[in-house]
Amino acid sequence: MPSKTRNPVTARRGVSLNVILTAAVVVVAIAVIGIVLLANRSDDSGGGSNETLRPAGSHTLSQVADDKVTVVEFLDFQCPACASFYANITKELEKDYAGRFTFVPRNFPLQSHPLAVPAARAAEAAGKQGKYAQMYHALYDGYASWALTEDGKSMSDDLPRATARFEEFATAAGLDLDRFRADVASPEVQAIIDQGVADGTKLGVDSTPTFFINGEKFDPQGSTAGEVDRELRAAIDAGLAG
Amino acid sequence: MSRALAWLYTVGGGLGLAAAIALTLEKIAKLGDPTYVPICSLNPVISCGSVMDSAQAGVFGFPNPLIGIAAFAVVVTTGVAGLAGFDPPRWYRVGLAVGTTFGVVFVHWLIASSLYDIHALCPYCLVVWIVMIPLFWYTALDTWPVLAPLRTVHSAVLALWYVVIVILVLIAFWDYWTSLFN
Repeated sequence: MPSKTRNPVTARRGVSLNVILTAAVVVVAIAVIGIVLLANRSDDSGGGSNETLRPAGSHTLSQVADDKVTVVEFLDFQCPACASFYANITKELEKDYAGRFTFVPRNFPLQSHPLAVPAARAAEAAGKQGKYAQMYHALYDGYASWALTEDGKSMSDDLPRATARFEEFATAAGLDLDRFRADVASPEVQAIIDQGVADGTKLGVDSTPTFFINGEKFDPQGSTAGEVDRELRAAIDAGLAG
Repeated sequence: MSRALAWLYTVGGGLGLAAAIALTLEKIAKLGDPTYVPICSLNPVISCGSVMDSAQAGVFGFPNPLIGIAAFAVVVTTGVAGLAGFDPPRWYRVGLAVGTTFGVVFVHWLIASSLYDIHALCPYCLVVWIVMIPLFWYTALDTWPVLAPLRTVHSAVLALWYVVIVILVLIAFWDYWTSLFN
């Protein structure tokens, strides 16, 4: 056993050199890393990074090879405005620009819509079997049959009725129903939804639907669906041309 | 054994032991229920799940944390014995030096796997990386006379070592870190 003074941990001799060097290493490292991170931050200001807008594994309803124009929509399946946007704008947009733009739907279920999370779970569970797009369309095309009360006048909170409808949609899409039910209940699917909410919040999303075109938030000036549709298409056309 | 080294073994070994136990429990939970998502899987980058499921996580044919449970328990015991006055003979300290050398080499192979092959960081594994380096370094300094000149700059070497690992982690997951800052 070496004597106490030879032990490195308690060694007193040369302590000042050691302390100076240690501090120098730490300070230089923090300074360099900090500067590089800050420089990087100012490089791509605005819109957030690609990973926040569109994490790996995000679904696409249309995709173009080079992602020249990427539209990301933060949506809530039970939000009436989202359903209206779908019926009047995005459903046609998706067809008209199929294969020419990348369209990424992200989950942003709002607290005020009791069936928004179950619907998002159904869509993500369908995605686990490669049928996200089918469930997305079924949820919006069949909006009135699960999102609204029977009289069609208010927001439904009837989970058993909605669940039965989601399972009908799943069956119609040819999904393995047992697997679908397991996926709907899985924490993995919930985590995807939570990620959407977290990313949306980080990007300043506070209402649905919110669109980002090539990372820039889309703020339509028009008030009618027709006007918004024209603006959205103009923005996509500009991206395709540029 | 100095009290400082005994404390390092007790605290460092204890942290490593706790991390190894947590990883083993997560592994068992995942074996019982394949859909189980470990509590330490926060997102695609910070994820025990993908690390635990990798081939590297059971390179000897059984889960790595079992090695940690056995080995860190020895380190803790040595530390506590040291605090109680145990002065290990040379052969015992050489044994510790050989064991921690194996540990530190293994951990660096796992770091390389995590960064460049699995592309995920597992928080419990990070704890093991963090404690393994000083456990190795101070045992080596205490055991091998040839390292005596480095004793005067012992913590500078440790700091430099950590800085290199931190930079490698930053570079490997650059997109993730910058997404947190933007």
